Amino acid sequence: MVRLITHNLLACHAKGCTSNNFPLQFKDVQVELREAEFNPDFLRGFIPRLEWGALVDAARQLGDTSLPPEPPEMMDDEFLQKLHHVLLEVHIEEGVMICPNCNHAYPISNGIPNMLLAEHEIG
Amino acid sequence: MPAVTAVTVSDDPQVYEDAHVHSVYDEIAPHFSSTRYKPWPIIAQFLSSLPTGWVGLDSGTGNGKYLPLPQGRPGSVWTIGLDRSRNLLEVAQNVGDIRREVVWGNVVDRPWRAGAFDYTISIATIHHLSTPERRRIAVQRLIESISSSHGRALIYVWAIEQDELSKRSIPTDTKPDEIQAKGQDVFVPWVLSSQTAGKANAKAQDTGDTAEQPKVFNRYYHMFARGELRQLVEEAALELGLEVGSPVDKQHQDSAIFVQGLEVIQDGWERSNCYVELRRWNASSKA
Repeated sequence: MVRLITHNLLACHAKGCTSNNFPLQFKDVQVELREAEFNPDFLRGFIPRLEWGALVDAARQLGDTSLPPEPPEMMDDEFLQKLHHVLLEVHIEEGVMICPNCNHAYPISNGIPNMLLAEHEIG
Repeated sequence: MPAVTAVTVSDDPQVYEDAHVHSVYDEIAPHFSSTRYKPWPIIAQFLSSLPTGWVGLDSGTGNGKYLPLPQGRPGSVWTIGLDRSRNLLEVAQNVGDIRREVVWGNVVDRPWRAGAFDYTISIATIHHLSTPERRRIAVQRLIESISSSHGRALIYVWAIEQDELSKRSIPTDTKPDEIQAKGQDVFVPWVLSSQTAGKANAKAQDTGDTAEQPKVFNRYYHMFARGELRQLVEEAALELGLEVGSPVDKQHQDSAIFVQGLEVIQDGWERSNCYVELRRWNASSKA
């Protein structure tokens, strides 16, 4: 699956592509929503690890505008529920992720992103 | 059971691994997966020791058996599985009947933000890389994937020293002292009979193989000599410009220097495998 938790970690690694290679941009995506177990303690611990701006942008590309531009100081349950949904319940099943720098395309098929490179593309 | 045989790696290493590792796992995925379900204790312990909210990479996740851990606190950390075998990923994707995050990739690449993870595990994977250089690169990718301030890693590979319970014996056509220094390249057979394939099919997917004769797939392994894994890790770290040792031992007089380091927390041998646990640290000491 590519959920936004994973998308927030992935970066382009094609040969010579070392800056502006994150976050990858979604294109032609098919999205499925699946409920996941809500774990507020995990989320509170995980928030400092996120690239927040990249998460908000990615969610917008998928039509979800529920997250604020900055993480709020008060982590109430209402906010954590929204974050939970965006991070863990939105599954990108099909589509492509494009590098903003070199335009390399990483396809997603059956929920699995293909981050392999051909030999001549490896840096 | 067919024996383990010594081999010499020929060919371009990537081509060699495609033929003798990746395509084999794609062929044997369902049967292989049906035999791999028990987590090893030291790995389970490592995953249980992680703080809530950490995110990690299982580099060479195979059938994803470590993705649901820790058992006592499911969901307290989030492990993302990476593997080169697409068919194994299809299994890993649903391990424990919950959707997991899996990525199709090669352990010698770095499709991540640097330092994006808090921890990484690499279990029974690096021994499938066919040159010392590629094994060192794979270790460097693990080091680079975790946080420079607190990242932790656990690496397991196959040892030359096999325990008594192991069904395998090691070929001895290389000089013993040479094996002890550099390890040994071998083929390890995987037997897929129509019967075992059928059994696996009942649980998993179609292997597409209905031949009556048992089919033998030889997987390439580099079996590690005693001390070889730790040495590999330390060389990999030094080459990345990291200090090797504990941050206490490496306190620098010059407080202006920002030092990055790597400490081996434990290394040892467990049930025919060598392992190393490490953590990264950095210090810009204000003396």
